[in-house]
Amino acid sequence: MIHLLPFLDVALPSQAPQGGNLIAARAAIGVGFSIHILLAGLVSGSGELGPAIEFLGYMRQRRRYDRLAHGIARFMTYYFSVSATVAILVMTVLLVGFWGHFWSVMVRIAWWPLVIEALAFIMQVSLAYLWYYTWDPLRNFKALHMAMGGLLAIASFIQVYMIDIVASYMLTPTPPSNPIRLALNPTSYPLTVHRTVGNLAYVGFAVAGFCAIKFLRARTVEDRAFYDWAGSFGLLWGVGMTLFQPIVGYSYAKEIQLHTYASWYKMMRGSLSTVFVWQITLLGLMFLVAAFYFTRRLRTDGAPGHSLLRLMTGGLVLATLLAALPHHLAWTLDDVAAAGLDRPFWQGGLINPLGAMIPWKVLALMAYTLLAIAAVTWYVRGLSGVRWGNAGRGEQRLLIVSTILTVAMIVTMGFIRENGRAPDLIAGQMQIQQQQDVSPQPTPAR
Amino acid sequence: MISELRGWASSAYNWMDERASVRSLLRKGLYEAVPVRGAWFYTLGSATLVLILLQLVTGIFLTLLYVPSVTEAWQSLNYVRQHDAFGSIVRGIHLWSAYVLLFVIGLHMVRTFFSGSYKRPRELNWVTGVGLFVLVLAMAITGAFLPWDQAAYWTAVVVTNIASYTPIIGSFLRALWRGGDTMGPVTLVRTFGIHVWLLPAILFPLIGAHLALLRKHGEFGSYVNYRGAYRAREGVETPPAPTQRRIEPPYPAVPTDELWAAPLETEDFYPYQTFKDGLVSVVLVAVVFLLAVTIGAPLEEAANPATTSYTPVPEWFYLPLDELLVLVPQQLIPLVLVLPAGGVALLLLLPFIDRDAERNPFERPAVMIPGAFAVLFVVILTLLGSGRLFNL
Amino acid sequence: MAVPDRRLSRRRFAILGTQVVAGAVTITLAVPIVGFLISPLFRRERVVEREVGNVADVTGPDPQKFIVTFPQNAWPVPDVPVAVYVVRVGQGYKVLSNVCSHMQCPVRWQPDLGQFLCPCHGGLYDRTGLNIGGPPPKPLPEFVHRIDGNGVLFIQNRFTEQI
Repeated sequence: MIHLLPFLDVALPSQAPQGGNLIAARAAIGVGFSIHILLAGLVSGSGELGPAIEFLGYMRQRRRYDRLAHGIARFMTYYFSVSATVAILVMTVLLVGFWGHFWSVMVRIAWWPLVIEALAFIMQVSLAYLWYYTWDPLRNFKALHMAMGGLLAIASFIQVYMIDIVASYMLTPTPPSNPIRLALNPTSYPLTVHRTVGNLAYVGFAVAGFCAIKFLRARTVEDRAFYDWAGSFGLLWGVGMTLFQPIVGYSYAKEIQLHTYASWYKMMRGSLSTVFVWQITLLGLMFLVAAFYFTRRLRTDGAPGHSLLRLMTGGLVLATLLAALPHHLAWTLDDVAAAGLDRPFWQGGLINPLGAMIPWKVLALMAYTLLAIAAVTWYVRGLSGVRWGNAGRGEQRLLIVSTILTVAMIVTMGFIRENGRAPDLIAGQMQIQQQQDVSPQPTPAR
Repeated sequence: MISELRGWASSAYNWMDERASVRSLLRKGLYEAVPVRGAWFYTLGSATLVLILLQLVTGIFLTLLYVPSVTEAWQSLNYVRQHDAFGSIVRGIHLWSAYVLLFVIGLHMVRTFFSGSYKRPRELNWVTGVGLFVLVLAMAITGAFLPWDQAAYWTAVVVTNIASYTPIIGSFLRALWRGGDTMGPVTLVRTFGIHVWLLPAILFPLIGAHLALLRKHGEFGSYVNYRGAYRAREGVETPPAPTQRRIEPPYPAVPTDELWAAPLETEDFYPYQTFKDGLVSVVLVAVVFLLAVTIGAPLEEAANPATTSYTPVPEWFYLPLDELLVLVPQQLIPLVLVLPAGGVALLLLLPFIDRDAERNPFERPAVMIPGAFAVLFVVILTLLGSGRLFNL
Repeated sequence: MAVPDRRLSRRRFAILGTQVVAGAVTITLAVPIVGFLISPLFRRERVVEREVGNVADVTGPDPQKFIVTFPQNAWPVPDVPVAVYVVRVGQGYKVLSNVCSHMQCPVRWQPDLGQFLCPCHGGLYDRTGLNIGGPPPKPLPEFVHRIDGNGVLFIQNRFTEQI
């Protein structure tokens, strides 16, 4: 045994690897947070959507709503525990280990929001499990059960708002001495609205995709009917919430433009602009997939209205084409200026005037919103002629594609967000580079 | 002694009744039938009325302390703010009652929309209601001009300027309101007259018409009170409909529509509904008083057209429109006029677009879904723009 | 047998009379009231000229702010101040107003941005007043002005274009 002793003298770092590998640190946090967001968004959205579906079921006296809400509650208990584990791993090990200087500064600045978030989280955890496990015992006391669900929704919202204060502070900081001013920093409102709407949409699409798979594997007629309806219902929620995102996202980008112009420029015209065009393409594809589903589902049962929906789908195709056109046919606008090719492409330049944000892309975004409202209304109107359980396989594939598109959009958005703010970690106050100093600089006096 | 007083009171009552029909007026006013379930939602209408009356009363007394002149408006209000605590409370009530009123009238409109109370035979009730909504908004906007402090002045500039984007007659409208191309004494005195006389002269008769129509047809209430809610539907466990009680006036004795014309069960307006109305109104008025006494009505510095440091901030109820103004690019600015105008036009035409008799909101998605989206859009636009309220 | 009644019956006379009287009262009221309401559109605003300062005081390339007071177009009230931005452009000067071309909010010069910013809706103008960002549809309005032999700048209370 004594010959193993020399191995104990291998030079391993005794502390977290702070210095040196910036790429590894950013990759670790990027992957960790992406997984966390994909799960946590599902948790928060489920906490808000599930109680809403239960309430709707109570108002409409329909059992399938209750079954769907119960299913969401059950799955919430599964991914809640995974998400919490990932969160703890990310927060305590990765954040403190790789980004300790930043994290200790951030916790000190955003102390009260993080405390409130922790309390909201405790509420969320207790209520989520209580809400699921008391489903049957409280079935004769629905009002009490729904009140619990309502509290769960409120706790989920508060939790998202608090963490958004931290995230928005990193982009548009305000004097941190006043926690109210901190909470009301210029991008906290748009980000919270954006994320809340997005979480609700995400759960809708997740339900749609999951129920599509369950439909394809269902054995009984009752199950087939339920999963067919649930997939359609989830998609309706997904699209219904996503159609707010063009205006919410535009407003958010406006605030970023007004308060951190460099980040906005990077996202819209600089090195991330191509990624952003890709994101908008994904959004357009998502609306298209939903419109295809609506049309197909109604046509499968010969329900009225699918011809008008075909028209709306055509409109959405046009809108997507318009929205996805790139403005500058180079990686960044600076490249175009540097090459001196600042003119339309039909004049030999690298600019595409039809890809300009104003007014073409703005019109495309408005078209998305209006056409989506029209499509959702027309589809629900046609549902009276639909027999649940009758859906074809094509529809289910569309639902699965919509879920994949949502996941892709969430990850892309996170990528854009974090790299848009680079090289700053807290805009104007702390750079990413400062994290990598082995002996970190003292916090600048405020 | 008591029986003598009672005898005297009774004969006084008979004397009044012979001359002014007091008995039948009271009976008609107090003992009208109201649907039984959902009654707490119906209190929103009476709360709106109470808040409007509060505005009327405080407004009348404000004209005893305010001078509508560009030099004296701010001075008169500043004098009150510094030397008159009770006058400041009256100002505070007028402001906070306006804010709460706008919130409550929005809730009332959303409630009547979702419950389908605009359908036959109550279309005119809805139309007068939309008119009242627009008038209350106009009162709020014109009232905001009157203090002539920085906030009021720049609100006036922006609001009158929005009118100028109307096609063809835009600059004409703006000049009509401002009394010329630029803001000045004429703007203030015209707005004062509009706010204090012209709009109330239209508002109060319209309130009378709205209430008279309500009394004529009876409160519709909620679909759960009607036989239509008990129709058998696939996949739904529908309980059997309760038996119809005696149909009380004002509901038609011979119902034109078996499903939605008369509620299955009613109770007397007095004391059941009056209690609920009174409770909600008292709570709202108490909230208004509390806000008036603690926060009060702010008064910023006097209007200065040459400022280069003041950031105009919109009133909260005006935030959706202001957020649109931020987001809409210059080529599409007329949209900022078209959307609200189109919205009001759609609201006015609603009873004539949606003529189907069905009242259950879950069974009429073609109207409910766009309506729900419209309400959500207004809420989301307000939230998006609210950052500006905190001077960011 | 009924005789075709071409003569004016008493009833018809009363009806006609009511209508004519109602019309007359309406017109008698409407003409002065409507006339009064639209009268500001026909009142010529008095054009006055005011001295701003000396263009030699505009030293750097940044716009310089001056405050000038003008009378109001109504009964005698104190003059109101307006902000004037004077900026060197090439060999000459531009005399800009700070009235935003979007909704007429007060625009201010931001030295750190090197642009004019409108705080209401984020409109941006460059140092010569050209609209370069945000919703404003036109450049900043310019005052009608003249510079006399000694370099003293005078402006009138009207713009080169109708705003």
